[in-house]
Amino acid sequence: MITLVPWKAGSLEIWEEGEGPTIGYVHGMVCAPGRLPFVAELAGRGRHVVAPSLPGYSATSPSSDIRNVHDWVFALSEIVDRSGLAGCPLAASSTGAMLALELAAVRPEAFSSLILIAPLGLWRDDNPITDPFSTTLSGQRALLTNDPAVTASFFDDATDGPTVDSMIQRYTGRTATASLVWPIPEFGLTERIHRVSCPVTLVWGSDDRIIDPSYADLFAESLSDCRATHVVTGAGHHAEWDDPVAVAAIVDAALG
Amino acid sequence: MKTIWFHLMPYPELPDDFTSEHRSVWVDIDPGLFDPRVGHRMYNEYIDELEFAASVGFDGVGINEHHSNAYGLMPSPNLIAAALARTCPDAALVVLGDSVALYNPPIRVAEEFAMLDCISGGRLVAGFPVGTPMDTLYAYGNNPATLRERYHEGIDLILKAWTADDVFSFNGKYSKLRYVNCWPRPVQQPHPPIWIPGGGSIDTWEWCARSGYSYLYLSYFGYKAAMKTMQGFWKCVEEAGRPANPFQAGFAQFFGVADSEAEAIELYREPAEYFFNRCLHVYPGFADPPGYKTLATVRNGAEGMVERAAREASERAAEVAKKSERKAAQQSFSAASHMSFEQMVEKGYVIVGSPDQVAEKTIEMAKQLHIGHVMSLCHFGNMSRDLAMHNTELMATKVLPQIRHLWDEEWDDEWWPTPLPSSQRMTPSPFPATPR
Repeated sequence: MITLVPWKAGSLEIWEEGEGPTIGYVHGMVCAPGRLPFVAELAGRGRHVVAPSLPGYSATSPSSDIRNVHDWVFALSEIVDRSGLAGCPLAASSTGAMLALELAAVRPEAFSSLILIAPLGLWRDDNPITDPFSTTLSGQRALLTNDPAVTASFFDDATDGPTVDSMIQRYTGRTATASLVWPIPEFGLTERIHRVSCPVTLVWGSDDRIIDPSYADLFAESLSDCRATHVVTGAGHHAEWDDPVAVAAIVDAALG
Repeated sequence: MKTIWFHLMPYPELPDDFTSEHRSVWVDIDPGLFDPRVGHRMYNEYIDELEFAASVGFDGVGINEHHSNAYGLMPSPNLIAAALARTCPDAALVVLGDSVALYNPPIRVAEEFAMLDCISGGRLVAGFPVGTPMDTLYAYGNNPATLRERYHEGIDLILKAWTADDVFSFNGKYSKLRYVNCWPRPVQQPHPPIWIPGGGSIDTWEWCARSGYSYLYLSYFGYKAAMKTMQGFWKCVEEAGRPANPFQAGFAQFFGVADSEAEAIELYREPAEYFFNRCLHVYPGFADPPGYKTLATVRNGAEGMVERAAREASERAAEVAKKSERKAAQQSFSAASHMSFEQMVEKGYVIVGSPDQVAEKTIEMAKQLHIGHVMSLCHFGNMSRDLAMHNTELMATKVLPQIRHLWDEEWDDEWWPTPLPSSQRMTPSPFPATPR
């Protein structure tokens, strides 16, 4: 079920699936509410999944107030409250995982646990994160998942509605991503990450072409309570799109 | 009509295999391709050309700002303008301009433009481009989501700094200055004329029309393809309730003048092919990042200049690849994406011919686009100084007299600098041969 609730001067889109204990999901660079098999897979495992769309993505209004990572974290904090996710476990991917860590650093009680799929937020000069915007649209699509076909619901124009509207929606979503990662997705998290006190599980696609899987070690060393790191063989940066079953199983197991 | 001699300052010695061996002229171009000795010669020759243009009667000299590229080597147009302010005593200094969002804080632009206006005695045209995505976003790391807001806020700050009667505080989203106090202040009051170079953004048309700024369409693709853009601009002017004064608009055009059309084709083929095939060899992945365009422009389907250049190069490479079944060529932008000079002339990218032919086509262009300012590119690509000066002299002596008075009877140029009277303007004074 997808609902729109009033938020700031516009709307906040929230996608909910399944019944059972609540878990949140915060998307990364790809956002297509209602069309991500990973969420359905989690719901099928007896979870109530709540997946808000961040500002600028899908039907959530862009926010002109957002100029920096501080504004993004504040926005996520409000969205977590508005979605009823405060104190719940959260699965988050890529840029969404970066924001979840930033929020958990300033608001440690925000989540009971985190399952993070290839989070951004740290940086190694000897192994820099790939710039997802120094390429064409199709080039970016090929970077984000191992199988570009799995993100058709985001990258291909809608066939069931106005093409221009779906193009604009994708453009604003990609702009929102750009605002998060441009020019380097590192905003000082390394100085704050020690404040994340909840248990964290890391998930990485073995074929991640955005952020090398070796970054998992850096995150694991930096976090105070990193429980495990799982590598999903054959998956790319957004592993939950490439292999929703495997990632849902990891999340399910992490939640116990 | 006013004609400004406009220089891009391209790097003139890109190798013959540049397009096949390098993916882009911008952003990640191999720094090893730059030879500082060539740079020394190039800058001095280019300044010679600008000074020569001013000396033979062009109304103004024009320059602009780019970064991390071989297309246009003026990271700081103000440095070149400062030199020209001293050596070109009468021409307008058309700086097109300072990419406001790249100056932190933008008060620096207000100060340096005011310096130029003081040095030149009030001959500055203040240009404020957004800047290309390669310059602003990739080379200078601005965030595309906030670039335009930062740009507009910067211009607000500059205008207030030039016109405020007292020291003030500026509490912007991007610039927070407790004390704004612009010293020096411009000679031209309340401020130098403002020109906005654009590449086809709808919002820029509306903003220029509403604010009364002069809009410069900096297209590489000739006047024949510019009609839609300029019609869009003039529609905005009409909707803003302003008269359709042609001096509120300008257009950039490549020119090649010779004694005959055949000679012009012979003379200007190589530099034009160098420019269009090497200097515009932009990797498409740098041309259209999300957030750079406004939603209105995206919705309208309008395409930026750089984006078009990159797309056309890509399409030519793809066509060749399709024919030869060499798919790899689509990615590598091989030399097969070459555009011929004949194609450039046919499409109007370059106006070539005898002085009379060039004058006729220029008047046709100016009337069709309804423009009062021509940004004349008489140097392009790897053109030699001698050829650039030959072209410039023919343009000045045989073309300009035919086009100069086009709008005189109907319109005043409200966007031209208003310098101090020449009797009050300083000129460089010679030093005595022997120090006393």
